[in-house]
Amino acid sequence: MIKPILYAGLPLLMTLGGAAAFADTIKIGVPVPLSGPYASAGVDVLNAAKLAAADINASGGVLGKQIEILGEDDACDAQQGVQAAQKLVDAGVAAVAGGYCSGAALPELTALHRAGIPYILDASTNPKLTQLGFNNVFRTIGRDDQQGPFAAAFMANYLKAKKVAVIDDNTVYSKGLADNTVAGLKKLGIDVVYYDAVTPGQMDYSAVLSHVASLGPDVIDYTGYFAEAGLMAKEAAALHLAPKLMGGDATDDPTLIKTAGMAANGWMATCAPLPQFLTGAKDFVTNFTKAYNTAPGPYSVYEYDAVEIAAKTIKSAGSTDPATLIAALHKVTDYPGLTGNITFNSVGDRAVASYITVIVKDEAWAPYVKQTPAGQWVPVQ
Amino acid sequence: MSEFIQLVVAGLTTGSFYALVALGYTMVYGIVRLINFAHGDIFMVGAFIGWTVLTAVAASHMPWGIGLLLALILAMLLTGGIGVVIERFAYQPLLSAPPLSILITALGVSIALENGVLLIFGAGFNTYPHLIGSEGFMLGGAHITNIQVGIIVLSFLLMGGLYLFVHHTFIGTAMRALAVDRDAARLMGINVERVIQITFFLGSSLAAVAGVMEGLYYTEINFFMGFVVGLRAFTAAVLGGIGNIPGAMAGGLLIGLLEAFSAGYISSRWTDVIVFLVLIGTLVIKPTGLFGERVVERM
Amino acid sequence: MQGLLNRPISAAGIVALAVAAILPFFCHNYIVDVALTIVTYGILALGLNIVVGYAGLLDLGYAAFFAIGAYTTALLETLLNFNFWETIPFSLLFAGISGIIIGYPTLRLRSDYLAIVTLGFGEIVRIIATNLDITGGPNGIYGINPANLLGHDLTSPKSVYALGLVFLVCVLILVIRLGRSRLGRAWTSLREDENAAEAVGVPTLRVKMLAYVIGALIGGLGGSLFAARFGTIDPSSFTYAQSVSILIIVVLGGRGSIPGVLLGAIIIAGLPEALRFLNLWREFVFAIALILLMLVRPQGLWPARLRHIAPPSAEDAHATPHAEVAEQIAETTAGEPDVLLEARDVSRVFGGLKAVSNVNFTVHRGEILSIIGPNGAGKTTVFNCLTGVIPPSAGAIIWNGKPLAKLAPHKVVARGLARTFQGIRLFDNLTVFENVLVGMDHRFHVSLASEMLALSYARRETHLHHAAGRNWLEFVGLTAQAGLRAGDLPYGDQRRLEIARALAGQPQLLLLDEPAAGMNPTEKQSLMGLIRRIRDLGTTVLLIEHDMLLVMGVSDRVIVMDRGQVIASGSPSEVQSNPRVIEAYLGAGEDEDEDSLAAVSEGAVA
Repeated sequence: MIKPILYAGLPLLMTLGGAAAFADTIKIGVPVPLSGPYASAGVDVLNAAKLAAADINASGGVLGKQIEILGEDDACDAQQGVQAAQKLVDAGVAAVAGGYCSGAALPELTALHRAGIPYILDASTNPKLTQLGFNNVFRTIGRDDQQGPFAAAFMANYLKAKKVAVIDDNTVYSKGLADNTVAGLKKLGIDVVYYDAVTPGQMDYSAVLSHVASLGPDVIDYTGYFAEAGLMAKEAAALHLAPKLMGGDATDDPTLIKTAGMAANGWMATCAPLPQFLTGAKDFVTNFTKAYNTAPGPYSVYEYDAVEIAAKTIKSAGSTDPATLIAALHKVTDYPGLTGNITFNSVGDRAVASYITVIVKDEAWAPYVKQTPAGQWVPVQ
Repeated sequence: MSEFIQLVVAGLTTGSFYALVALGYTMVYGIVRLINFAHGDIFMVGAFIGWTVLTAVAASHMPWGIGLLLALILAMLLTGGIGVVIERFAYQPLLSAPPLSILITALGVSIALENGVLLIFGAGFNTYPHLIGSEGFMLGGAHITNIQVGIIVLSFLLMGGLYLFVHHTFIGTAMRALAVDRDAARLMGINVERVIQITFFLGSSLAAVAGVMEGLYYTEINFFMGFVVGLRAFTAAVLGGIGNIPGAMAGGLLIGLLEAFSAGYISSRWTDVIVFLVLIGTLVIKPTGLFGERVVERM
Repeated sequence: MQGLLNRPISAAGIVALAVAAILPFFCHNYIVDVALTIVTYGILALGLNIVVGYAGLLDLGYAAFFAIGAYTTALLETLLNFNFWETIPFSLLFAGISGIIIGYPTLRLRSDYLAIVTLGFGEIVRIIATNLDITGGPNGIYGINPANLLGHDLTSPKSVYALGLVFLVCVLILVIRLGRSRLGRAWTSLREDENAAEAVGVPTLRVKMLAYVIGALIGGLGGSLFAARFGTIDPSSFTYAQSVSILIIVVLGGRGSIPGVLLGAIIIAGLPEALRFLNLWREFVFAIALILLMLVRPQGLWPARLRHIAPPSAEDAHATPHAEVAEQIAETTAGEPDVLLEARDVSRVFGGLKAVSNVNFTVHRGEILSIIGPNGAGKTTVFNCLTGVIPPSAGAIIWNGKPLAKLAPHKVVARGLARTFQGIRLFDNLTVFENVLVGMDHRFHVSLASEMLALSYARRETHLHHAAGRNWLEFVGLTAQAGLRAGDLPYGDQRRLEIARALAGQPQLLLLDEPAAGMNPTEKQSLMGLIRRIRDLGTTVLLIEHDMLLVMGVSDRVIVMDRGQVIASGSPSEVQSNPRVIEAYLGAGEDEDEDSLAAVSEGAVA
């Protein structure tokens, strides 16, 4: 899944960055990890930004100028993140849209706040980011405390679970989601028989799984990432475990199925409506796959929306002045993005974040159920 | 009881990987007094070579049994060769330099291997074909898969083979002689450079076997996988007494069991803390590790 | 500090600092931010350099101290509303305590084992920070207030950079002063040869511990700065990879070399920034560059130079009161009893082997006593028992009328027993003069702090010691070589330097272990003269030697050992005619080396 990006994505990235540098452009910065273990996720995000810019430029650009994407490597590291943000500020970006790890996004946000430049986050779901009181932060993705209660309701009402085990991987995202899921479950009166973390990268989770299974949960909910989720699905099958398995949006990845094979069947995940299942996003998936020879990553579509919103707002505000732009962004209502209608609330979060569930059927991801406003669970079409 | 057996099997399985990788650490340390920080990444390279071969086999309609054997043999030979090349170009010129210089070079090799694989194979996960299912049997209420038994048995065979090699062949004797006194060994007519290369070859090959087995068992591999295993294996080698072959085996299995028990009975989040505390505690009581020889020094 | 200006490197360093100080006035914030990262790494690397560079101990978990400093500042600010400056003493305190915690179990470990233990310690600290709720778990801690100076919050990159630079200069002054203090000398001696350092009076365990603690303090300070800079910290900043980066800075730059370490910080923090355009290739290119640099310059890019301390002039040294060698020796021997040392039924068993059994002998003040015997007779084992290197299995050693009970070697030295080694064990990478100074540093009385502050009475004592040390060099005839690297001396000079180093500790008894080994007849002749002159000063000499001409020519009395037992003693002529002695030498033709066998089975010193 990742391999072709290197051959296709990287040269494209370099030529795009190099060729456009001399023109009079409107610059949008994208700080993402481009080295280290999260590099592939960063490339997925950066490519989506470039695709958005290409689409905007193809239809004439903004204010008579072309949009230029400046990607900077933050390596998911605080110091490098600050330096990346500072470099973007010095390069004169009008807005920043991107980010991947909260550990880097937060220092970046602080540096951008100081410079008064808006930062539209595409992947960081941690509630803290919009609770700092900064006026320059927005995000196109929902928060952990929006997904957690949804996952809890799904387990309690749809799966009719009485006892649930929640496992996280002690990363910011995973713990945040797990905390909010557990809180949701408790509110619904569900017995959380196990709530603890595993260490990612350890490969063998059969010890934890056999212990968890001995506590008799109906569902085991793993809020970490797909790599460990795949191993857990596989190891749980080898142990003949009875509980149903599910995870958060970071488990919704083809690698889970490749890792677990048949054992992946039946794995469920909560997630925001993915482009694959969004009528409006079909073109995005096709175009992305054509341009980069690989399917978009889980956050690509949010990045696409983030860049589009930035560009459209610059257009409607008629200015690239960051302060004007921030004010205009706060007024965005019902912007028709690929991920649904986007309205930023007073702190910059999406006012309404919708979630669905997906399930692995015959070794492929398939849409599963969603909740109607009335609270009914209906199949996703 | 069934949970206990389940944990023992899980611990022995992961412990087998650690033990095989720990052998490489301990052999190299015994002979050139180098903590080869790149060894965990050698293991990772072995897994990727195996993956490449198996992917090619999948495209060529070759029977899986032969393909698997081919993958193992090629991974051992190529990884062993890479180990020798690294020794020749990155370590050998520094064997007489201050020990810390060669340690930093080893760290550099580690970063280079990780990022080299990242550049060739990408940063995401690659998956082995699902060749071996999860068929198995019940023992005392615990589910044990055939592949777990296979991994444990194969590891024991390899470790036993290595032990016999080191103790009952000419080259093995030469290796032990080098471990005691490199200069004296040279004076006795031993081709020191050759023996060091053979040591690197053997250590890297064993790591490659572990890498391929890890790929077959867990199916997913990526460029960063060598870090955790390397760290555990290094811990195992020191716990057993670095430089000591049976010590590395025992240390590896012990760490595997410790990891399984702490994950099952305490919490997986504290596993590393527990492993390191056991290590530090052991070293405080017995400063040379469980099986380590006392240090020879004359005043 | 005036001395600093006299040397070109120091002058260049001050110019470099001045350039660093004016950097913010003509650079983008991005450059300033990178420079601040370099400064942070510089501080950390200077701290780790004490452990790795000065003391030669491996530390793969240094980020732990960095983390402890950062978390202390963060927690005290957010929970207890301390301001940044108030948190710093606590950062230092907690980092220092953790330095003791990490130092203690590792003190007796071999350096290779230190690698995994320190690595483990670093991981333990990070995992605890990730797992606990009070530290914010993986989220870390948000909303840390910036440092406030005179009512101004230091938030802009430029002001934080200025703060970082001030910290860096403070740390620089500290490490430069430490490096030139006697503690710095003790660290270097430890790095060069731990056992020899202990044997000339360096309290190696305490000195090691101090290296960890002072290194930890600097790491903690770096952590506080880090927390104030970012306003937020989380465990991902304190990983093993972080520790490795800091270690790479020290080794790549040059262990123990301050300009080297700063150069390393510039490269390690700056090179990845310069390579940004490479994206995914960045780390790979960095790694290859690192390997090549280490291959080309294994000692580091800017290796530490020999630390030169100029001995005072001959007139000055001789004019200094209490600095003459005879005066020094007279100070220690005055009023002590005539029987200096008595070995009573001393035995030492290694495994099942009796290396020394029921040895009795007496050493009288002012004599030259030789112990002879075939290889493996147990002579060196007796020396090791006397000097505290190994405890006797049974028996007692009476020193000046009091038992010498299981003291560490450096304490034995302080009591007045000094030794040399069978194989020469000098501190090769110190100057000849400094080798002698290490031998007398345990005689210092002033505190480290007053020495570092160069208070007047500390300076007086330093001068006295320099003068005394110089006179010992003169005593063995090495004044001309004072500034040379000890490892570069010819063999005979190395032997004499080792003797001077031992004498500099004002011993009442000097134990010489085969001093004539490998010497030519002329050198042996002058050695005999030297031994007599040592005795004439008032220092008693106990000699192990195989060279019979030398033994018979110089000794007042001779003890003969064979197979762990004393078989004869008396004047040289008595011993020479003793039939048991003749049998031991002629009859026992085998050349078994019991001492080394014994050492193998027991690990005599480790």
